[in-house]
Amino acid sequence: MNKPALWLLAAAVAGADDGRRIVEESQRRARTSSQRYEGTLEVFDARGRITAKRWRYERLGSAGDSKAVLRFTQPPEVKDVALLVVNHPDRASDQWMWTPAIQRERRIALQDRSTRFFGTDFSFEDLEERDVDQYDFQLLGEDRIDGALCWKIESRPRKSRSSQYTHTVGWVRKDNYVYLQVEAFRGGELIRRLRWSDLERIQGIWTARTMEVHDARRKSRTVMRLEKLEYNTPLKPEDFTLQTLRRGT
Amino acid sequence: MRLVALLTWPYLRRHKLRSALTIAGIIIGVALFVAMHTANRTVMAAFQTTVDRIAGKTELQISAGETGFPEDILEKVQSHPYVRAAAPVIEAVVATGIPGQGNLLVLGVDMTGDQSLRDYDLEGGDEDVVEDPLVFLAQPDSIIVSRVFAGRNRLETGSRLPLETMDGARRFTVRGIMRAGGMVSAYGGNLAVMDVYAAQMVFGRGRMFDRIDLALQEGVGIEEGRKSLERLLGPGYQIETPESRGKHFESISTALSFSINITSVFALLIGIFIIYNSFSTAVTQRRGEIGVLRALGATRGQVLGLFLAESAAAGLIGSVLGVVCGRLMARGMTLFMSGLVEVSYGANQRPDELAAEPWLMALAVGLGVVASVLGGLLPARAAARVDPVRALQKGRTQVMTAGENRLRRRLAAAILAAALGLLVFGRGNAPFYVSYILLVVALVLFTPALALRLARMLRPAWKRLRPVEGVLAADSLIQAPRRTSATVAALMLSLAMAVGFAGIASASRGSMNAWMRGTMNFDLILTTSETLSSQSYRFPPEVAGEVASIEGVAEIQPVRFGRIMLRGRPTMMVAVDVESVARRITFQVVEGDVSRMTRLAREGRGAIVSDTLALIEGLKLGDILEIETPSGPLRIPVVGTTVDYTDQRGTILIDRELYRRWWKDDSLNIVRVYLNPGADRNAARERIQERIGARHRLFVLTGAEMRAYVERVADQWLGMTYMQLAVAVLVAILGIINSLTVSILDRRRELGVLQAVGATRAQIRHTIWMEALSIGVIGLILGLAMGTVLLYYDFYLLRLNIVGLRLDYEFPVGFSLSLIPVILGAAFVAALWPAESAVRASLVEALEYE
Repeated sequence: MNKPALWLLAAAVAGADDGRRIVEESQRRARTSSQRYEGTLEVFDARGRITAKRWRYERLGSAGDSKAVLRFTQPPEVKDVALLVVNHPDRASDQWMWTPAIQRERRIALQDRSTRFFGTDFSFEDLEERDVDQYDFQLLGEDRIDGALCWKIESRPRKSRSSQYTHTVGWVRKDNYVYLQVEAFRGGELIRRLRWSDLERIQGIWTARTMEVHDARRKSRTVMRLEKLEYNTPLKPEDFTLQTLRRGT
Repeated sequence: MRLVALLTWPYLRRHKLRSALTIAGIIIGVALFVAMHTANRTVMAAFQTTVDRIAGKTELQISAGETGFPEDILEKVQSHPYVRAAAPVIEAVVATGIPGQGNLLVLGVDMTGDQSLRDYDLEGGDEDVVEDPLVFLAQPDSIIVSRVFAGRNRLETGSRLPLETMDGARRFTVRGIMRAGGMVSAYGGNLAVMDVYAAQMVFGRGRMFDRIDLALQEGVGIEEGRKSLERLLGPGYQIETPESRGKHFESISTALSFSINITSVFALLIGIFIIYNSFSTAVTQRRGEIGVLRALGATRGQVLGLFLAESAAAGLIGSVLGVVCGRLMARGMTLFMSGLVEVSYGANQRPDELAAEPWLMALAVGLGVVASVLGGLLPARAAARVDPVRALQKGRTQVMTAGENRLRRRLAAAILAAALGLLVFGRGNAPFYVSYILLVVALVLFTPALALRLARMLRPAWKRLRPVEGVLAADSLIQAPRRTSATVAALMLSLAMAVGFAGIASASRGSMNAWMRGTMNFDLILTTSETLSSQSYRFPPEVAGEVASIEGVAEIQPVRFGRIMLRGRPTMMVAVDVESVARRITFQVVEGDVSRMTRLAREGRGAIVSDTLALIEGLKLGDILEIETPSGPLRIPVVGTTVDYTDQRGTILIDRELYRRWWKDDSLNIVRVYLNPGADRNAARERIQERIGARHRLFVLTGAEMRAYVERVADQWLGMTYMQLAVAVLVAILGIINSLTVSILDRRRELGVLQAVGATRAQIRHTIWMEALSIGVIGLILGLAMGTVLLYYDFYLLRLNIVGLRLDYEFPVGFSLSLIPVILGAAFVAALWPAESAVRASLVEALEYE
């Protein structure tokens, strides 16, 4: 994931012709054939407690037609627990979780995607990629985030039952088409706010190395940092199957 | 009210003991009714409560009987457009390994999605277990327990909890504690939650789920959702609301309810007789006062109303006290029934509080009052018909007129003829039930005449035994048959009931022993739990092969059993290797040819049904069974009927290969083991324990131990018989005390005269004792005789479609012989106080009497 919340990224693809065009351009610039990184997650809950996790991530394909494997490396109790995400352009992704201690995979069902992703402030749905055709966009105007001039674009899912959010509003930098912020709403209520920072150009692609998700209701936040990031690395399709997941490689 | 003040109140004050005894009769009847039904309702409600509480927001549950179903069904259900949330569940009752804590109901759920259905209200600091279940899921030893259970066992987050699993005893880590209330109060609070896939592993479920709980999309009706899912999954699955599970449980425990209802009816009948006895005595004793009142202008209606009001009041007081006593008795009875239900049906329930159903209490009070009024109706009518002139004459109060006696006998004969006519010519169940009731009525109507005849027959024997006391005792009965006939009738009924139950028990045991000798001839049997009905654990299929390879083992028979749905009812199915079983066991064939039926069953072309199932469902050879399986409906013909007591509601025996094909399930409940000739059974048992027991939860029993276990379960059912015997003895004591008290009061003058002319206290005492023994002897003779006849009906009743048990008539000789000392002893005990009261009565008062 060049942006861990790719669904939100896709969902933020701007409205009307301008909005959609901006989002398509943003996706085009971020498109890679594969990606690999090591991620660190820190969750700061409302009581100030901090929990941390680390994982390795690999993705093959992009923009709503990709497969990704996420394998936890820390803490020791969850080492080698893995998640396989198969994204489809026209429908919700399929997700399986592999638990090495019982040598079993479990399918994570569509209905569960609004639940939090293992104690972080992401939901399972936030990890999905979606095609721009699944959303209606509207360019709301311009705004500044951290001093940078951005387009402000609203997106709404065309099938209301397919998402936990009724709509999102995204801020896309005008100079490099990188997302700096997305706010996700249910009705008029803000559910999550995502912010990207530490922008760096890696292999010619503008990439945010840090992302922060804030859960407005729980008043907790998750900070994710990407390390050892590589794009367009040679990955094999057969490494993104349940069989590979079971092998634990 | 004036009549009450004039007639009732003074009588009650003078006869406190008898009034108390009358009420005691009602108390016993109502208490027994309340206790048995409360216990039954409590156990049923405990099961339903457990189902409801753990159901959470579940609207529908998908299951395939007790056999479970392959897990790929989950994906189909989850992707159905009507389904908002669907989560797999495994339920197991697990031994905790903690002394005194009994079993723990473990719910295996998928924590990544189950929160849509159930609210896991965890204590502060533990919420992350639900919010971030990664560690919980990654570590299969993770478990969440209820606050109740944690409190009882001083468990905290991080504590280790020992549990019995398929891999033997394992220690689980408590990763969260659920707050009290809601779901946590299921199964008496002994509830724990673990990951469903870990549960599959530790309970030997393979890749099967027990059920899927689901909630529907907003706007989708339950029935609409159910039908749509039925179309999706086909008929092999039951899609029901959580409440329906309770109904299935009730349907498999009909034998228990049937037994309770029969006992209740008899308790009610006996109560009616005690009341009849007391009131007819009261009417007789108050004839003079009634005569005076009638002479002073009281109408017949007023007298009738007075006595009916008295009986209703007695009924009300006795019933209310009976409800109180019944509630007290219910607690002990609930424990007994809960154990019986768990061991017999494998139903997960743990009653924590008695069911308090107002309708049951109201019904008990209502029945008590109605029984009391019915019992008092004839005496009240007799009181209303009292002729004031004759009433004021002395003597002849308890003597039944020849005309009265003749009328009764003719009526009894007519009713008896009708009963026999219905029995011989009647078709279906209704004429049989009517015949049964008419027979009881006829025998009761015959009682005074028979009691009189028996008293006359006893007289010479009594005279030889004790020339003075014996004659006096026999004459007392002969001269006043009305005084004792109701007691004799009550005793007769209760003994007939006890004989009936004992006969059934004895025949069942005989038949069951014959079945066990023919079928439980294995050397060893491997099971996963102490109660064979439990479905909590199952062996993986490879266990069979491992056992077969152990030194000394000649042959093994893996068995898979579980309830499936047949004609909408849960029915036990047993899947075995029919070829091997046919070689080793002796089928008791009821219908069909043994070699043909086993051949067809072995080839998967037929099912062998038990006689019980055939009777309940009206199945005949060649009938097609439509069994709903996870692979679709299996249509299979009945190729034979045999005697099989594996389950109370009957069994379907099929080949295990057929089962595997249709249910896609390899797991095993038990493995029967035959050893090589001469092989050391204990050594083989040890080898199996070492090899299999090291990795799997295992109980190895010898054939004899297994048979003893089955007998113990059967004995628990027979415990009901002993309870009925206890009621019979109590009724006998009460009735005899009542009759003797009346007899002594009636004969105070006679006894006073006897003492005045030189009779010793010992002679008076012996007279009373012998009178009591006479009642006991007559009650015994009539009770055993009635039991002999009713037993025939009882056996027939069992064959009907309620119980479906075909047993040969067998009179319980040993039990009946044991009744002789019990009843005579009870009669003697009942006579002690009245006898002492008679000898200590003032001679002057006695001679002034009347």
